Amino acid sequence: MPILAEAFALVFQPYVLLVILSSAAFGMFVGAIPGLTATMATALLVPVTFFMDPVPAIAAIVTATAMAIFAGDIPGTLLRMPGTPASAAYVEDAYKMTRSGRSEEALGASLVFSAIGGIFGTIVLVTAAPVLAEVALKFSSFEYFWLVVLGLSCAIFVSPGSVPRGMISLIIGLFAATIGIDNPAGQPRYTFGSVELLAGVQFIPAMIGLFAVSEVLRFVAAGAEMPAVEKGGRTGVFSRQWTNMKRYPVQALRGAVTGTAIGALPGAGADIAAWISYAISKKFSRQPEKFGTGHVEGLVEAGASNNGAVSGAWIPALVFGIPGDSITAIVIGVLYIKGLNPGPTIFINQPQLIYAVFIVFFLANIIMLPMGWVAIKAARTILSIPARVLMPIILMFCIVGSFAINNSPFGIILMLVFGVIGFLMEENDIPIAPAILGLVLGPMLEQNFVTSMIKADGSFLAFFERPIAAGLGLFTIAIWCIPLVMTALRRRRGQSGGKPLDDASDRIGG
Amino acid sequence: MKFNDLLLGLLVLLGGIAIYVSALGFTAIPGQAYGAGTMPRAIAVFASLLGLFMIGKALVAGLRVPRLELAPWVGSRRSVLSVLIALALIVFYIVAAPAIGFVPASLVVMAVLMLTLKTRPLTAIAVSVLACVVIQQAFGRLLLVPLPRSEFLAFLW
Repeated sequence: MPILAEAFALVFQPYVLLVILSSAAFGMFVGAIPGLTATMATALLVPVTFFMDPVPAIAAIVTATAMAIFAGDIPGTLLRMPGTPASAAYVEDAYKMTRSGRSEEALGASLVFSAIGGIFGTIVLVTAAPVLAEVALKFSSFEYFWLVVLGLSCAIFVSPGSVPRGMISLIIGLFAATIGIDNPAGQPRYTFGSVELLAGVQFIPAMIGLFAVSEVLRFVAAGAEMPAVEKGGRTGVFSRQWTNMKRYPVQALRGAVTGTAIGALPGAGADIAAWISYAISKKFSRQPEKFGTGHVEGLVEAGASNNGAVSGAWIPALVFGIPGDSITAIVIGVLYIKGLNPGPTIFINQPQLIYAVFIVFFLANIIMLPMGWVAIKAARTILSIPARVLMPIILMFCIVGSFAINNSPFGIILMLVFGVIGFLMEENDIPIAPAILGLVLGPMLEQNFVTSMIKADGSFLAFFERPIAAGLGLFTIAIWCIPLVMTALRRRRGQSGGKPLDDASDRIGG
Repeated sequence: MKFNDLLLGLLVLLGGIAIYVSALGFTAIPGQAYGAGTMPRAIAVFASLLGLFMIGKALVAGLRVPRLELAPWVGSRRSVLSVLIALALIVFYIVAAPAIGFVPASLVVMAVLMLTLKTRPLTAIAVSVLACVVIQQAFGRLLLVPLPRSEFLAFLW
């Protein structure tokens, strides 16, 4: 109990509460602007959290992401432009509701069920994380090696686009992680005589470049402006939600469970959770034909799912130090900067901090309701800010943020290089998330791989000798085999006189 | 700028080979078979196999010529110019900020980019001045980031 009291004392301070409130507003704003993702909100927030104590720093990130994932629904509903990829799954339904004058009902459903999903995910996080941490204490380098490989594999197989392109992204990230002197033999690698590169590729400028600068460049290249906002009518944000809750309790719960589970898988996050939940909802619905025509059911399930995933992703991040998605990848970077090493020992050494994080999660999902109401009412004003004015300001934030990490212009150079890389990657349909995970997990993978190889004296069989390691290893290999099996099955079906194979098989099978 | 699958595969393969060759020079942990070269070599093997797979797949699909396809925006001189200006502005900031200070340098970056994106001049300048002072106060004063100073604007700090 004293630990819990200590945790409450850490959170309920005017300063921390102010941070939570401001980052909620910030997350709302960034999420509501099409093209600016929740990951970007986190990336832009990190330089500011750099100057805070651990609890407010984490609180800022937790609140901003939860809010940004919900706010992504706002432009999706009003403009048919999802603010974040996690909102893309049900954008068609939300927009059609707007066109029939039910925009506030649609956004209200996203808001209420986002909060429900988020709170459910948090409850799972609170109960599962300490138990898993007990188990994780017994893990050796073999188990960690497989966990990292599992996370990286998931990141590739669930990322949009083809599998080989996801692998290219991963290779870019892993290679960038080898730069510097921090390696088993302590020898400088790929530094080309640069003193700054000895410390390796700094994670935050690289990430700001990959996510934010590339987005600015893409906007500059396309020169597109946002379309006018549809008039959505005033049906009230919360008035219909009780009915929705009574009509779709199973959907809400199923969305929350699926989302949390997918979020908890290392490497898979809110985006994929929303897509899968929308598909599940349609499959089990009594009215599947209504999906895509302005039906609220899919919104309920997928909305609960993507916010459940935001909380679920923290389970592997806190317990194993392995990020569940690109946002927690950033969080892990921040935790290390703060001198907190994510992993099972954090539950023993600083339990009050972990409980404080849990409390923050509940707070974030609760204040989402009033903040979301304000955002929905203010949406038209936010969306009327022209992107041609906003993007240059965002670029400036990127520059200052990259500079602030080490107070050196080298951060800006890194940001520029990775911005161009990110821009070229997107041009070639190469997803960015695997590169980020590769960059974050690269050092952990290398350390556990080399340690295991030395312990095993070069024998790969040793990677399967411990029971949990063997289980994780076999599970990982099974994931690798899924695309092969799917391709084989499709071929067989194609040969047995079914529908002719179209290019979709190429897309999925890579 | 879009690489076709054959060219992308070739690039990945060449990248893998380059990493492998460069990793040959890395030393092992004394007394062990593994060290600084282990991970780069593993990445190199992974990349080479992936490159070969992509090349094979592209050949089977009927591609014969490695080609760089240009995205639609490359056809518009305006878009290309805008991207180049955006990149040049970042370089400008890196070079100029230490000499002339954060406020003038960031003002140029934001105002020029807004004008490039066809914002009205008055709006562009007004918003840039405001944004630049807000960022300077937030990061420079509140968060104590040592943004490069300009002597004549010392009162802002």
